[in-house]
Amino acid sequence: MAYVLIKASKLMRYLLLAVLTGTVFSVSSVHAANVDLESRIAAERIAVGTCAACHGWKGRSIAPKFPVLAGQRANYLLSQLRAFKAQTRGDPDALGYMWGMAAPLDASTMAALADYYSRQTALAGVREDPALLARGAQIYQQGDSAEGIPPCAACHGMGAAGTDMYPRLAGQHIEYLMKQLRSFQTNLRDVAIMHGVAQGLNEHDMRAVAAYLQGLGP
Amino acid sequence: MFKIQRSRIAAALATMLMFLLVPKAHAVPSFARQTGMACEACHTVFPELTHFGRMFKANGYTLDNLKQVRDITTERENMLVLATLAPLSVMIQVSQTWLDRPLPDGGGSTGHSQTSTTGFPQQLSLFYAGKVAPHLGAMIQASYDNASGSIGIDNTDLRFANLLLLPNDRGLIYGIDANNNPTVQDLWNSTPAWGFPYAASNAGVSPLAATQIDGTLAQDVAGLSFYAMWNESLYAEIGAYHSAKQGITNPITGAAGPLDGSVSNVISGAAPYARIAYEHQWRRHDVEIGAYGADFKLYPGGGSSSPVPLSGPVNQFRDVAEDLQYQFIGVQHLFSLQATHIHESAQLDASFDAGVSSNPNDTIDTTRITGSYYYRRKIGVTVSHFSTTGSADSGLYPSGPQPGVITSADSSPDTRGWIAEFNFLPWLNTKFSLQYSLYDRFNGGGTDYDGFGRKASSNDTTYLLVWLTF
Repeated sequence: MAYVLIKASKLMRYLLLAVLTGTVFSVSSVHAANVDLESRIAAERIAVGTCAACHGWKGRSIAPKFPVLAGQRANYLLSQLRAFKAQTRGDPDALGYMWGMAAPLDASTMAALADYYSRQTALAGVREDPALLARGAQIYQQGDSAEGIPPCAACHGMGAAGTDMYPRLAGQHIEYLMKQLRSFQTNLRDVAIMHGVAQGLNEHDMRAVAAYLQGLGP
Repeated sequence: MFKIQRSRIAAALATMLMFLLVPKAHAVPSFARQTGMACEACHTVFPELTHFGRMFKANGYTLDNLKQVRDITTERENMLVLATLAPLSVMIQVSQTWLDRPLPDGGGSTGHSQTSTTGFPQQLSLFYAGKVAPHLGAMIQASYDNASGSIGIDNTDLRFANLLLLPNDRGLIYGIDANNNPTVQDLWNSTPAWGFPYAASNAGVSPLAATQIDGTLAQDVAGLSFYAMWNESLYAEIGAYHSAKQGITNPITGAAGPLDGSVSNVISGAAPYARIAYEHQWRRHDVEIGAYGADFKLYPGGGSSSPVPLSGPVNQFRDVAEDLQYQFIGVQHLFSLQATHIHESAQLDASFDAGVSSNPNDTIDTTRITGSYYYRRKIGVTVSHFSTTGSADSGLYPSGPQPGVITSADSSPDTRGWIAEFNFLPWLNTKFSLQYSLYDRFNGGGTDYDGFGRKASSNDTTYLLVWLTF
């Protein structure tokens, strides 16, 4: 019982941290109105000519190694592009691909790219591993207090569409989501709140929640 | 007269073989330096390209994430955008080759060769590979080769590329390419210049016959082509090749040209080249299907001691080829398959008139199918089957008067066999390979292909290679 209480208080800490982190994220936000025409045109060329080779047409990534960007929250995209450029996001593909990609982008182009992808229609979900969906839904919506896993929905929203502060997860590839969760676990991707959350997830639960999320539509 | 013609064709064959023996080898860390991206972005395992690598190439090698030296006008027109670091890299190949059976000593001596050869280096290359200016990129390779003991130009590909934005955010990449080896500009690893084997021993015995588009004219021609790629999937290219001989001087001027009858295999005018391909991706899979071809009209010419005018009849080689590539790129497991079939119909007006070929028309068909598996891009196995068949021609594929390994008792070009290769990459830019090449048939025969008792399997090779790129 005491163990459960400790786990529960840990959970509260994550939630508190989430709120605080969210406040920080929300300081710099992207609004389409703030993106000038020149940056918008430049961003479209970059998106079609470069990003699409991995992230797909309009951010509808085909290969599960690369995240779907269509419909992703602009604030999240901008914060990640900044992290790539500052080389503070350290998961393997961030190093291998995005540090180089983001290096020449200036602030206005990054904002325009974030705006471009956030305006694209999100993909319909793809259901895989149906046996895992119920467990995935449980973790996502309610968490697992016995394992110290808070409900993901508390931050990412019930439909996993994300908020101004947190990324959209609905429709994301299982492979990409699992790779990120592992990177949070090992602190390769150094995000305190997600490090705490991911620590409680075993491989089975990770796959379950990722499968649930990939199955969610817009 | 016939003797002279024989010696000329032998010289031409030797030249051809020299080119065939030059291994292809290309993975260029300067691209990684320029883009700031790891090898795996562009390669499954070097030199095989991923979809992103193909797009990087189609876009003219210009994606550049380095600091730039710039110059602009007051109208904000770019006058100079130059990377602060030159995109240079070095490649070294060190190898050991074991031939199954020794070769007869050259020069009619009664002994025989050693069976093993050390290449230290087998090849050493310097690359300039990257952006030259906005929209303009280059991959230039200069190589030292231990067979010639000299440094020469290797594969070179200069390209201009741009992107046209189409409605609904579709893209059309279009460009102009100049290169010195037909298919070196191609984006897939199923065509000859970038096909398997990516590295091969230059201390073995090569068969007599190969199609023109299959490396025969490498570094001997200059091609200019126009290409377009729609939506990263449909690719079309059209171009032409002209002779651009290296190390040849005009006997009268002592200058680099113009070419005259003392040079062999000179393209008459310009040889057209065309390519079409379609690539489709779904999840971790990527498949490409395509066709390519060229039509070469060559003056046989002659050697400096027996010049033949570059006029009159020509030998015409029509090469038509199909190719297929499939790639699976998983987290742990990577699999790829490449296949090509090249059909060459040769109308040998010049050679037949001169008595060099015994037929007025010949054909050659070459097929290669290669499958590769890699675990975590570190350990891999590749198995490849190759086959060349064609018309028997006692002029082009002669038997020798004495034991000689590059001859055919049946006057047949038929050669087929297998290559098995094991690779280990402790780092993404270092490869250790053990390759075994096995011949079922060589120049038309299995057990006695040269008429002096040499078996096809006598030319089997075991090849150990250390391949470093940095």
